[in-house]
Amino acid sequence: MDEIAEAIKQTKAYYCLDCGKCTGNCPVSLFDKAYSPRVMVKSVILGEGEKLGKTRLLWSCLSCKMCEERCPSDVQYIEFQRRIRGVYRDLGQREFCSHGGAFQSLMRIMTAPKLKQNRLGWLDKDLSVSKRGEDLYFVGCLPYFDAFFEDLNVHTLNTARSTIRIMNGLGIKPMLLENERCCGHDMLWAGDEDNFKRLAEHNLKEIEKSRAKRVVFSCPEGYRTFKLDYPRYFGKLKFEVLHLSELMAGGSSQNPLSLGRLNKAVTYHDPCRLGRHMGLYDPPRELLKSIGDLELREMYHNKHTALCCGTSAWMNCDLASKQIQMMRLREAKQTGAQILVTACPKCQIHLTCAMKDTHLGGSLDIEIRDLATLVADSLPSSKRKK
Amino acid sequence: MGKVAEKESIADIRALLEQEEVVLHFPQAELGPYTLRRVKTSQCKVACPLGTDVKGYVGLIAGGEFKKSLELIKETNPFPAICGRVCMHPCEPECHRGEVDEPVAIRMLKRFVADYELKQASEKPKVRGARKTGQERVAIVGSGPAGLTAASDLARLGFSVTVFEKLPVAGGMLSVGIPPFRLPRDVIQAEIAAIADLGVDIRTKKEVKDPRRLLRQGYKAVFMATGAHRGLKLGIPGEELQHSLDALTFLKGVHLGSGERLGNRVVIIGAGYAALDSARTALRLGSRHVDVIFRRSKQELPYPDLAREAEREGVRLHCHVVPVKVLGRNGRVRGVTCAKMRSGPADEVGRRQPSSIKGSEFSLPADTVIFAIHQEPDLSSLPKNHSFEISPWNTLVVEPETLATKTKGIFAGGDAVSGPKSVIEAIAVGHKAAASLYHYLKGKELKPAPKDPGERQAEVVIEDWVPEHKNRMRTLREAPKSWRNHFHEVEHLPSEESARREAGRCLMCGPCSECEKCIAECHQKLLALSVPGTTGEQVLVRIPWLSDRFPNGHEPWEVHIQGPAGESLRALASPVVCQVWEELCRGCAECAQVCEYEARKMVSREDGVVVSQVDQSICRGCGACVTVCPTGASILGHFTEARITETLEHLLAGSVGGKRKGEGARPHIVCFGCNWSAYPLLERAEFEIPAGLHLIRVMCLGSVNSGLMLRALELGADGVLMLGCTSEKCHYSFGNRVAETQVDMAHKLMHTLGIEKQRLRLETISSGESTKLKRIIRLFATKMSKLGPNLLRS
Repeated sequence: MDEIAEAIKQTKAYYCLDCGKCTGNCPVSLFDKAYSPRVMVKSVILGEGEKLGKTRLLWSCLSCKMCEERCPSDVQYIEFQRRIRGVYRDLGQREFCSHGGAFQSLMRIMTAPKLKQNRLGWLDKDLSVSKRGEDLYFVGCLPYFDAFFEDLNVHTLNTARSTIRIMNGLGIKPMLLENERCCGHDMLWAGDEDNFKRLAEHNLKEIEKSRAKRVVFSCPEGYRTFKLDYPRYFGKLKFEVLHLSELMAGGSSQNPLSLGRLNKAVTYHDPCRLGRHMGLYDPPRELLKSIGDLELREMYHNKHTALCCGTSAWMNCDLASKQIQMMRLREAKQTGAQILVTACPKCQIHLTCAMKDTHLGGSLDIEIRDLATLVADSLPSSKRKK
Repeated sequence: MGKVAEKESIADIRALLEQEEVVLHFPQAELGPYTLRRVKTSQCKVACPLGTDVKGYVGLIAGGEFKKSLELIKETNPFPAICGRVCMHPCEPECHRGEVDEPVAIRMLKRFVADYELKQASEKPKVRGARKTGQERVAIVGSGPAGLTAASDLARLGFSVTVFEKLPVAGGMLSVGIPPFRLPRDVIQAEIAAIADLGVDIRTKKEVKDPRRLLRQGYKAVFMATGAHRGLKLGIPGEELQHSLDALTFLKGVHLGSGERLGNRVVIIGAGYAALDSARTALRLGSRHVDVIFRRSKQELPYPDLAREAEREGVRLHCHVVPVKVLGRNGRVRGVTCAKMRSGPADEVGRRQPSSIKGSEFSLPADTVIFAIHQEPDLSSLPKNHSFEISPWNTLVVEPETLATKTKGIFAGGDAVSGPKSVIEAIAVGHKAAASLYHYLKGKELKPAPKDPGERQAEVVIEDWVPEHKNRMRTLREAPKSWRNHFHEVEHLPSEESARREAGRCLMCGPCSECEKCIAECHQKLLALSVPGTTGEQVLVRIPWLSDRFPNGHEPWEVHIQGPAGESLRALASPVVCQVWEELCRGCAECAQVCEYEARKMVSREDGVVVSQVDQSICRGCGACVTVCPTGASILGHFTEARITETLEHLLAGSVGGKRKGEGARPHIVCFGCNWSAYPLLERAEFEIPAGLHLIRVMCLGSVNSGLMLRALELGADGVLMLGCTSEKCHYSFGNRVAETQVDMAHKLMHTLGIEKQRLRLETISSGESTKLKRIIRLFATKMSKLGPNLLRS
């Protein structure tokens, strides 16, 4: 097939030395012995991909990019995997959806042009936003996650509130989009380019209408998708794309924040999209360190070796996912930190879900916080409130 | 798919009755209108005089459940270790395995479990029926298998039982007839001790001359089981000589320690049990030459296995030979003159009557001659004025149904009535006597007499399933030459592994082994096994012993369905139960928390990973666990998410982005209908169903998660109507609550998405409320028309 040949060529899969470093470092392979990136590349190159394409293994890759860190030949494995998924999706294969496919349905529903969402109900009165301005905050799927994972006690909208609070602290009154759609990240990685493009077009049109110059993200997935994937499909964007941590730690604003104190040991979990995908290892850490008295402890796997949270794009959540999550939680516990900080709502959801296992007897329980909420709580204003 | 919409009700099955077989797509896992019927029983059970559940206990051995296996044997047989050694096993010739290769070694398997448990001895196997202190006293005369079985039964029924035994040891023919190398004495003692433990008073050296005295002493009833202890001779010249004796006198003498010297040469006349036992005993007592003479051909030997064993020990077997005269000198035996025979024409029972060949006489030298021809009851000690009726064969005559003699309160049975029979038949008589005494004393039946079991005999058609050839286990291991030197048991106990392998050879004739394991396991108490022959011979849901013929219970199996008029229908069924796809299970226990049937258990695998498991004997197939499972590891048989999605795609094809003129303008409504209320009502609705209403059958609304509701909307449904039971009448009692939670979740998401909440509605009805259903549907359709098409359709 031409598409497969092209994928092999463009992702440099031809250069695979068959050394197996990818499989040796892949967190999925660690627990699911049936899955091997090396074998995946090899069988597709040898024209035997069809066999794997019909199995669950096609959807196993977490696109955490650990393999690419190690690959001596610079094979772009996750991009390779994404394209292969697209080929087999066109042939009728479907991903194994978690949560009864509710999220996939949500995302596809959001492609409807006439959609009029009620997605700003969470906006508290103390949060300052503006109708017109240069900065825009792209909230992402937080309102949906917040509703869906209420039982899990993960309130993702607090991240949105905290982000605005921080931006306010920096003197920014961001714009919000009333009819923002899903960024399309999950559709893209499940090989569904058509729906990805539909969602992206909606978003780009809305942002253009707002005339924003800078778009700020709290979500690493949205950040990566806008910064890397949108330009690939739609050319150079007319606005700057920034992650919240860049906005603060990069000192791009005239108003550096003065943060309060938090006498606690914390450890930071790098979301794959923010870390290995975008290279933002230090800004979140610097931000944490600027909180007084806070002690930052590193897990055994950190920065470019950080472990993934085990599930990606609401698909193929399985036994291996759970094992990866437990391993990550164990690492966090070993640091002796009281709080596990992450910057991604999905990492927060997945790791919290893993702690639910009653057989663990609470042995892996640890407080999980989002970076933005931890920082926002240390703002002088919020202290005063308390 | 679209199959969901196909009609598959009982009525349709009735219409298909002309066909050989129908396939029922959505039968229930639970006992609903469909009742599974146990189909017939296995030959081995029918062949056993006790009706021992052979297939059941063999199956339990195969599964390694030795204790339960022995408990099952003990339901009918108080002497498993004894029968495991000396039973004539009428079951084995009937075993269907024999048509494939060789019969299952049933007797040896029984001995295996009996010995295994005797060896463990830590815990006595449970025997049904509690021991009670007796009120009414009952006497039993004779402590053989018939007498002791009756004693054991009566003691368990709460009588105070006394057994009188003339000899110094209990056990009757077991102790004084069968030699210890076939039946070790400690085995007899252990099983008799177990009966004594029930409170039975066994008194040895107590001869009862007149049983009527016992009645006068206060015993309410007497059972005479005195056996057939008088050995017969032939009536040939010279048999009155010294050292010419009958086998019983000989064996009894040896076992009671008063035996005479035999000399080097012994001739045994006859080839039955007593003859072969005498021959082998003679060898062990030091006789060099032991000759057994038998008047028929070698093919007609009654116990060829035992004869072969005797021959291997060194016994010489002469067939087609009869004794003519016992030769003597000085009053002592010197030899036997014999004549050769030939087979003549067959008699009315098919046995060829031998006739002697003239001039074929020859002599066998002998120091002792033992006649092992026949035995009859020894009635010499009865008082002269006894009231028994005696048959021409010198046996007691009783009423065959009740075993009652002419004297009220005195019963008789066993060899004393029938002449010599086997141990297993004696045990059967013992049970019968106990039932009869119970009836006599209590004035009511112990239990209804079973129907002729032959009617229920199962057939196995070997042609359509060729079992793998597996050799029968061999248990004799010691070199036969050394056997003759000692009185120890010669048959060795098989290893645990080979016993289980042997039990695994059972073909499991008849689907249900009646081992009752399912009933014991089912903590929901859904199962019951009815007694054969009584009313309602039905109800057995699962086949308890899984083998390669029934992998995981997922394969469709034949069920008998009771139709509305009580008629019996044949069908293939595979139940709607949940399964776990273990690779996807992340052990979150959501399923275990939601399942109120407790069919889900979280188990720790060998590698330490915790996963969920389904007990499919408890699962009722509501699908609530599927709804709450975050990963899709829970799968409901037949109603998979993929299948429902496909159905939705098929029904709603073309509604998104399609042309909305004409046909497309009417509202498309997806209706998830509960199998127990809305679905059947809608299926045979008496009112007109709007054209755009697509009915999807689900086991319970609790099996529809918010994802499926959103999927229907995404695919272009204008409205989603969830129709199920009212909360008080929810078929699964909790499915309703699960459905409400899911609808709430979907409503929240729809609100944020900006889709009108009215487009998703949960309505509850009872299964009879046709009018209400009509109103609900009409109202919903009108509302959808007003709301206009789903924004995704434009």
